[in-house]
Order: sequence, then C-alpha cells, then structure tokens
Amino acid sequence: MSEDVDFDVIIIGCGMAGMACAAQLLKEGVEGDRILVVDRGEPIGAKNLSGGILWGRELDELDDIFPNWEMENPGIERYINHKKIGFLSSEDAFIMEGKFASWDGIGGTEEPSMRTGWSVLRAKTDSWFAEKLEEVGVFIMPGIKIDQLHIDGLDHTSYSARDLTSPAEDSGRGAAQKWRIDNADQEIVNAVREGKICGIVQDGEIMTSNVVVIAEGSNSILTRSYAFDTMLHAQSRHGIILGVKEVIHLGEDVINSRFGCFSGDEERPPSGMAMEAALAIYDDMAEKAWEEYPVTAGQVPRAGGWLYTNRDTLSIGVVIQLDSLPSGIHTYDMLEAYKSHPAIAPLISGGETVEYGAHLVPEYGLDRMPSRLVRDGAVVIGDAAGLVYSNGAVIQGQNYSIHSGKLAAKVIAKCIESGDFSKKSLGQYKKDLDQSYVMRDLRRFKTTAKFLADDANYTWVPKFMGKMFNRVVREIGEEKITVEKQALRLRKEMRRKDKKTKKGMGLLNLIRLGMMGRKL
Amino acid sequence: MSEKTKIGLFEYDVKNGLGLIAYNVDEHEHAHIIVDTKKCGDCDSMMCVWGCPAQCYMFRDVGLEEMKFQYEDCVECGTCFLMCTDGALSWNHPRGGFGITYAYG
Repeated sequence: MSEDVDFDVIIIGCGMAGMACAAQLLKEGVEGDRILVVDRGEPIGAKNLSGGILWGRELDELDDIFPNWEMENPGIERYINHKKIGFLSSEDAFIMEGKFASWDGIGGTEEPSMRTGWSVLRAKTDSWFAEKLEEVGVFIMPGIKIDQLHIDGLDHTSYSARDLTSPAEDSGRGAAQKWRIDNADQEIVNAVREGKICGIVQDGEIMTSNVVVIAEGSNSILTRSYAFDTMLHAQSRHGIILGVKEVIHLGEDVINSRFGCFSGDEERPPSGMAMEAALAIYDDMAEKAWEEYPVTAGQVPRAGGWLYTNRDTLSIGVVIQLDSLPSGIHTYDMLEAYKSHPAIAPLISGGETVEYGAHLVPEYGLDRMPSRLVRDGAVVIGDAAGLVYSNGAVIQGQNYSIHSGKLAAKVIAKCIESGDFSKKSLGQYKKDLDQSYVMRDLRRFKTTAKFLADDANYTWVPKFMGKMFNRVVREIGEEKITVEKQALRLRKEMRRKDKKTKKGMGLLNLIRLGMMGRKL
Repeated sequence: MSEKTKIGLFEYDVKNGLGLIAYNVDEHEHAHIIVDTKKCGDCDSMMCVWGCPAQCYMFRDVGLEEMKFQYEDCVECGTCFLMCTDGALSWNHPRGGFGITYAYG
C-alpha cells in the first residue's frame, strides 16, 4: 500500500452512498485508517433528509460492518408491509391498498418472504452508520465542507473552483460561467477540468488520497466545479423535484392503532405503512395564482404527496416538480393544502409537528446524470450522480445510492492493489454501474419521466379515478350501468367542463398516455 | 350552487415550522447565499419567492417594493439556485458546522 498519500480513499459525504462505499472498502480489505469520510453536517446526519423509505435489502451485504442493522439502528423505524398508492382530487381520494404477509419476512408465504422496505429518519440512521464505521477504525470528520479538490501540479491558492463557476453570477443558465472560463488562464481551466484529482483542500490544508469519492448528495457543488457536470445542465429546473416534509409526532400506540400496525418483537421492528398519491388538489390555488400572476398562467403544479409511518412519528410531505411551479403558489402552502385534504387530515390529527425540512431530488436519472462519473483519481456516486428513479408506484434512490457506493468500492479496492488510479481503471465502476440493476432500471423506464411530467396525472386523471370509483360503488337510487358505459359518460361530462380537460381527454391524448403508461 | 370545498386558500405560517429546526447561523460575512437584489426589480415571475420552502425570499408576494432576502432560515435545499433566471444569486453550502441541523431528517 502506498504510504506517500495521507489516505487511500477520501469520501466526501456521509449519506447512504458514502457510508456504503466506506463499509464495502473495509470488506474488500482496505484498512480503516486508510479511509477518511468527511461530511459538512455536525453531527453526521445533521444535513441528511429523505422522504422516508429505504427500499431493498442492499444493507444485508454490509451486515458485518453494521451488525443487526434492522434492529440496532435507531433510525430504522418500521418495516413496511402495507403500501398504498392513489389519486387525490379536491373532492375524492381513490387509493389502492395492499397488505402483504410475504413482506413480514417470517416465511410461510407463496411469494418470496422478506422485509424489503423500512421507514427511516436519516439524521438518526446516518449517525449510527458513522458510529459503526468509526468503531472499525474509519476516520470520520463531521462539520467539514469541501470547496476544493487537490489537483496534481496545480497550486490550490492560484484559483478558486467557485471562480470558475462565477461566484457573483451562479444562476442565469451558465452564461456567466462560460464567460469566466473563456477569460480565465487556460492552463488552470484545463487542470481543473481534466487534471488528476489527488486529494481535498480543507481550510487551506491539503489532504492527499489516491481516490476521492464524491458522495455529496443532490445539489452537489463539487461535481459542477470540477466539470463532472455542466453548469447548464446543473442549473436546469427540468427533472428536479423539491420535497417539502414535516415529521409529526403522534406516539407509538396511536400509530399502531390508527394504521393497524404490528407492534414489533425481538426479531422484527414494528410494521408500518407507506402511502404515495398523485395530487390534483391545487385547482383553487392555481386559479387564484394565475389571476394574480399572469406570467405563468395555465401552468399546473405537478405534485405528489406521501405519508409514511415511523415508530412514533409520521413523515408527511409533497414532492413538487420545480419546472411546473407557477408564480403565486408557495411550496410550503402546497404541503399545508395536502395536510388539510379530507383524506389526509384525519390521519395526522392530534399530532404535533416536530420538524420541518426540504430537500432536492434529482429524480429523472438519465436526463439529469452528470456527463461523466469518473475522472483520474475520482468517482461520483449516489444522488450526486443523479441515481434516482420513480414511476409513481416505486421510488428508488437510497438503495441505488448504497449500490453505487458498493460498486465503486469494489473497483477502488482493485485499483489500490494495482496502484493504478487512472480514469481508465476507475472507469470499471461506470461499466459495472451500467450493467447493474440501477442503470438497467433507469434505461428501461426512460419514458417514465415523460409520463410523470404529463399534466394529465395531476389534473383530470385523479379526478376521473375518484369520480369513477364513486359512481361504480355508490347507491343513490340511480339505474346501474356497466363500468364501460359509466367511463364513457364520465369522460363526456368532464370534457364538457373546460377546454383544457376537453383536449386532455381527447382520443389521441388518451392513446399517447396509454402508450407511456404501459411502459411504467 | 352548494358550497365547494376549497383547498389551500389560506396562508401557512412557515416560520412556525422553521422554528422547530436547530440552526447554527454563521456571520453575515460568511452568508452562504448572496443575492444581488438590484437584479430582481424587473423580475415578474419571482420564482425564488415561490420555490423557497423557508420563505427566505420576500418580495411583492408580501407587498414589498424591493426584494428582501435573508439566509438565516435557509434549509439548504438549493431550489432558489435553480429558480433564478436573472443571474442574481450565488449559492454555496454553509461553512462546515454551520446552518441547519436536522434531528429527524
């Protein structure tokens, strides 16, 4: 092992991706004291926030570093055996619900018996992971933000990475940045863009390493500054989602009885429910907003809502596609409107909000991914690499992060053995990622992004689903007609209401939606 | 016509929610977001105002003539950076150890 560098690997960011990468490195035989993990949060986890469900059994492989994580980690709240997906409109809620014995993971079921999802509270989960890593000798440094990477042969005082992304004029679609780069010393620009990365700069001090792993999460400034991502790309609102969330305290007993949860034993944590819904509840807000701010009139806010049960709290929030937000609607008002919906309000009633937070989600993976994930001496993993996928029915992000961290670690360990940290050998990580289920998912379902960005899912579809179900199951003394007839009649009625719905529910549009929906 | 259920036509006091979060606010000279509010005057979409989940940007939505920005309540999400079309803001994460501290996450 080369002792001429301070560490073999420096990992920037101690979230799901960073901690998984460190744990896998240990498993591959890299010594704990050759790994440094830095994170800007103090304590670790302080900056970390997720909607709240970790799907998949990615952590199993790391069981020797994180023993009995399911029971021991205080941030792993409940396992999910009860899932709901649905549509909310102002008047109705149409929610499909499944409760699966196989998800209890205690055997005796025809379907594979395993617990596959857990509600998590990241400030707690991540500090536990960090603690466990520290116990086996990994250096963890909380409260450290990294602005600069150390580039071979480049004096770090001669430039500021942020200068090249133009400090005073970050925003504005990257035009200013281009000007800065064109007018900067070309040698420096080239080194920053293509040079060999061999460490980090912290408070003017250099810490060297063979590999730097960028696991900064969404909104990663280092990937922008060091040309993994283009500025133009990084600034696009398209495909970026804002999650606004509250954690509401209800008490364990109330949650168990209100949501019909199993209360847990020595082998299993308590069980819980995960609900996600497409929202068409912002008509009134939007109309008022369009009137006051005609500049974005007609723009429909596309949003989804979620509700997850934790041990004694609920995680509730909305995800808002930022390119759809019209002027005149505050994002926090959208959360409040969701909380006050007649189908949601009773579920949270009597609760006390204990935390409010927000986080960006780079949701449309393929479109949003940085243009490259590997440079000489550095790799990008997790949210920073844009590894998130959702089709409304499943939402994957944290498990992709863990998977990418593990893949990167396996390649890095090989590179440490061979002593070759070039773009070419680290590039194996990109190849492995391409062949993994993460990228296969992202590629296979690339039309999903378009489907989820279609206004229909946030306007007439939820309304149609609610009304349709209402009419099929109700008994108000009217004559029964077949479901098919009912659907045609309802479509006709809804199309008569306004021009937009008329167009939206037109035959061609329905076929188009169907074609996309088929590929979810 | 009967009374229709109206959803969301009221104002949420977001500052109440923010009051629940622990912050370690850095000094002004180290503010992690800097807004050149002179550039905001002509902006009619004011997307930072609507996007920001922490009401750090206040402008005509609350009847102000000029953009008023404060970084202290920032939850460090990065929305404003994506929303601004006028090149008015520079965005960074706060210095290590400063800013928001989630207890749940």
